[in-house]
Amino acid sequence: MFLEIRNIQKSFGSGDCLVEVLKGIDLQINRGEFCVLLGPSGSGKSTLLNIIGGIDRADSGDILINEEKMADMNDKRLSVYRRKHLGYIFQMYNLIPNLTVRENIEVGAYLSSRPLDTDDLLHTLGLFEHRNKLPNQLSGGQQQRTAIGRAIVKNPDILLCDEPTGALDYHTSKEILHMIESINQTYGTTIIMVTHNDAIGHMADRIIRLRDGMIRENMLNTQKLSAHVLEW
Amino acid sequence: MKNPLNKRFPRELRSDFGKYFVIFFLLVSTIGFVSGFLVADHSLLTAYNEGFEKYNIEDGNFTVHSKLTNYERTSIEKHGVRIYDNYYIECPLANGSTLRIFSERRDVNQVCLMDGAMPGKPGEIAIDRMYAVNNQLKIGDTIHSDSYTWKITGLVALSDYSCLFQDNNDSMFDALQFGVAIVTPDGFTALGKKNLTYCYSWKYLDSPADDQEASVMAEDLMKSINHIVSLTDFIPLYQNQAIQFTGEDMGGDRAMITILLYIVMLIITFVFGITISHTIESESTVIGTLLASGYTKQELIRHYMTLPLLVTIIAALIGNIIGYTFMKNVCANMYYGSYSLPTYQTLWNPQAFFLTTIIPVLLMFLINDITLRRKLSLSPLKFLRKDLSRKKQKNTLHLNHRIPFMTRFRARIIFQNSSNYIVLMCGILFANLLLIFGMSLPAVLHNYQETISDNLLCNYQYLLQVPVSMMSMENDTELEDISYADLLHASFLEYSLTTANPDAEKFSAYSLNTTSNPYRTDEILLYGIAKHSKYIDLDLSDHDVFISSAYAEKYGLNEGDTIRLKEPYEDTFYRFRITGIYRYEGGLCVFMNQKALNQTLNLEEDAFSGYFSDSEITDLPAGYVGSVITLDDLTKISRQLDQSMGSMMYIVDGFAIMIFVVLIYLLSKIIIEKNSQSISIAKILGYHTMEISSLYIMSTSVLVILFLLLSLPLETICMEWIFRLYLYIGMSGWITFSVPPIVFLKMFSLGVGTYAIVAMLEFWKIKKIPMDEALKNVE
Repeated sequence: MFLEIRNIQKSFGSGDCLVEVLKGIDLQINRGEFCVLLGPSGSGKSTLLNIIGGIDRADSGDILINEEKMADMNDKRLSVYRRKHLGYIFQMYNLIPNLTVRENIEVGAYLSSRPLDTDDLLHTLGLFEHRNKLPNQLSGGQQQRTAIGRAIVKNPDILLCDEPTGALDYHTSKEILHMIESINQTYGTTIIMVTHNDAIGHMADRIIRLRDGMIRENMLNTQKLSAHVLEW
Repeated sequence: MKNPLNKRFPRELRSDFGKYFVIFFLLVSTIGFVSGFLVADHSLLTAYNEGFEKYNIEDGNFTVHSKLTNYERTSIEKHGVRIYDNYYIECPLANGSTLRIFSERRDVNQVCLMDGAMPGKPGEIAIDRMYAVNNQLKIGDTIHSDSYTWKITGLVALSDYSCLFQDNNDSMFDALQFGVAIVTPDGFTALGKKNLTYCYSWKYLDSPADDQEASVMAEDLMKSINHIVSLTDFIPLYQNQAIQFTGEDMGGDRAMITILLYIVMLIITFVFGITISHTIESESTVIGTLLASGYTKQELIRHYMTLPLLVTIIAALIGNIIGYTFMKNVCANMYYGSYSLPTYQTLWNPQAFFLTTIIPVLLMFLINDITLRRKLSLSPLKFLRKDLSRKKQKNTLHLNHRIPFMTRFRARIIFQNSSNYIVLMCGILFANLLLIFGMSLPAVLHNYQETISDNLLCNYQYLLQVPVSMMSMENDTELEDISYADLLHASFLEYSLTTANPDAEKFSAYSLNTTSNPYRTDEILLYGIAKHSKYIDLDLSDHDVFISSAYAEKYGLNEGDTIRLKEPYEDTFYRFRITGIYRYEGGLCVFMNQKALNQTLNLEEDAFSGYFSDSEITDLPAGYVGSVITLDDLTKISRQLDQSMGSMMYIVDGFAIMIFVVLIYLLSKIIIEKNSQSISIAKILGYHTMEISSLYIMSTSVLVILFLLLSLPLETICMEWIFRLYLYIGMSGWITFSVPPIVFLKMFSLGVGTYAIVAMLEFWKIKKIPMDEALKNVE
């Protein structure tokens, strides 16, 4: 098993204000799998993603990647772990405002000993002609494509996507989803995507539904659809 | 692969040019000035120290009434010294100053020719360079006394007069009214012997190892000479202010400038700390993303530290270049404006380099490292959420809803930026401290001169120079037989030395030393005042002891306190209980009934040692008049301080204004940048730029004005304390520090004016913040 999540629990606050966000999550994800975490706001999906990404820590439980326990990692090793294994895509892109498109992608490439070719990637992402523009000269879709480029240029094992289409219109969203799908297929990258859009679940290999901090449904999607045909 | 983040540096520099420029400018000016000062100080001090050997400076000098006979000279030289003639004549010049003229020197106290040529024939003269500058004299000019005219051929520095003290007992030197000069031996002979002072310099055959040994050797020598010939003056090297003062003052200046550098560095460090914190806050999501992507904390620390450190290093290098070139000359000229120093060679000063370059860079590195390390220890998630507070959210400060909304809004801005405002307050306090120093010192000195003129005891005080032993000696005792100690410390005469001047009033005077000041010994002049004195408005009983207000202020003395004074060279102590304070700023004095003073000192009841007079006394035998104290003498200290520090005051003022501008600009800029999103939202909501400015600029304005007002009394107290300490530790005499109200007005206006310019820049900045700023950054 590539990614194994065992009884993850996480709460915020204390005393009367204690909110249990994750109440014992158990999950196993295979290498190369496209996994979608679905659920309403407050269901704990982003928190789970952040814990998988090593930018938040669980109160209890284990996460194992290639049988390596994340709980045993100190901050330094967590950095290395993120560096080697993870790519991150956020809803609000989080591009570096004073770096160009190419340079923002190079920010990711710099972290890898075997990065993808930046020019190829720029072509693939349809950003080549915008490569010398700054983020504020781009549309939302172009910014998100740049963010995807930054995440995948280091060829991560896992791509974590936190509502990647949350700030985009329908067509741009589909374009971005298609791109993520292509990455999964082309590079075999494991994808874990958080979304509240049920339709997006149809393009995944595995659909996990969360509610109130618990997994309500964990199913393999046997009728997987291409991003192109998704409708919502 | 090169770190792509490096490409941000030039862009970051361009986009935040204002911030980096003012920091760069402040660093360059501070480092340039301090480095220039330290290099000049070090080079000149080295030249000064080397001068002792290079110009063969004497180990001391003594003065006698008449020329030493060969026998006397040989007898003195048997005591381990070599004697050199160092005769001089003092000539009052037509310009009102006094010139002490020496014959050409070959063996000791040699002369450094600064410009022109040494005199070649009678009628030619080389004068002290600084005296020439102060009196607007140049080579080729002629100077006149009553009987002589000289043509100036050169400007010189006399190695035994690096500081132009006319009298070693003077509290300050006076390079305006007193100068030294060199003429040819023939030219000197032509001046005659009428006003000739028989001064002899000595050099030990075996030099003393230190001041302590020098002191013992000098005391022994003094006793020995006194047995051979009657001394009128005896000044060993370690006590010679004309030689020693320069070196001591330069050392003190270096300490002061170093402290100034550290204070400025501390302020810059705080500014950098705040700037970095602001950068991290504004880059929060970028940092979060980079950390989430796998960038290590160390990589980010390196990244965010590079630019400020680079700016500091470049500023330090340029500051050093400016320091070694332009500023060194400016600072050297400041010294040349105060002292008669010989020529110097610029010397590489490792200490200056360490202080002005290594320390600032190190300081900057440390503060950046600590701030960044602390800030970046938060989790990537916190950065992504822009939640950089370490503490749990405290309860929101409750502001009464009856307070107008805009006022509450401003209050919130102030609370939000409290750390910035604290640094701003410290900066304003420091800048104003410099400003109050720069602006009030000339006023204080001017005020001192006026006060002295207003409450002068009399226009002329004649101190007669006849020893106490003369009163108890047998009638056939020769003047030459009187000991030096008697001559130096007391001068009492019997009724025989009288004047026909109706203004003249006898008084007793005796000088004792203070015992309570651990840093220096002050000479206290005890006046014995005649009954019903027309000069001292006191009706003193036999038990009354009044002290001058200057004495009371300097030592914090009050009525009822007891003072303890001692004989300068003996272990005899005197205690006096103060019964009153007499308003007199001209010196550290004690006023007693003449009879009581004479009794205290075991002298005859009607013994006296001088005359007070409002008109000049002309019928006293010249040889008996030790010194005449006039207004000119009393104000010498203020005149010289004015002369030597005047040019520095403008630099201090400029420096203060610069710090003021830089701090206000940087901190208010950060406050506005921090709030750019809120400003943008306010714009979207329909606020006008003027309204927004009234929120963000007004809150800073209110605080700036508050700090300015608050700083005035604080600075006055602080400056009074510093000034008091400076005089207490380092100077004889006393000057009351009182800031005229006009200085406060000037300081406040300057502060407000400077702020107004910065506020205009900030208004423009607010106007430029686009409305989509808020939309872009919404998380």
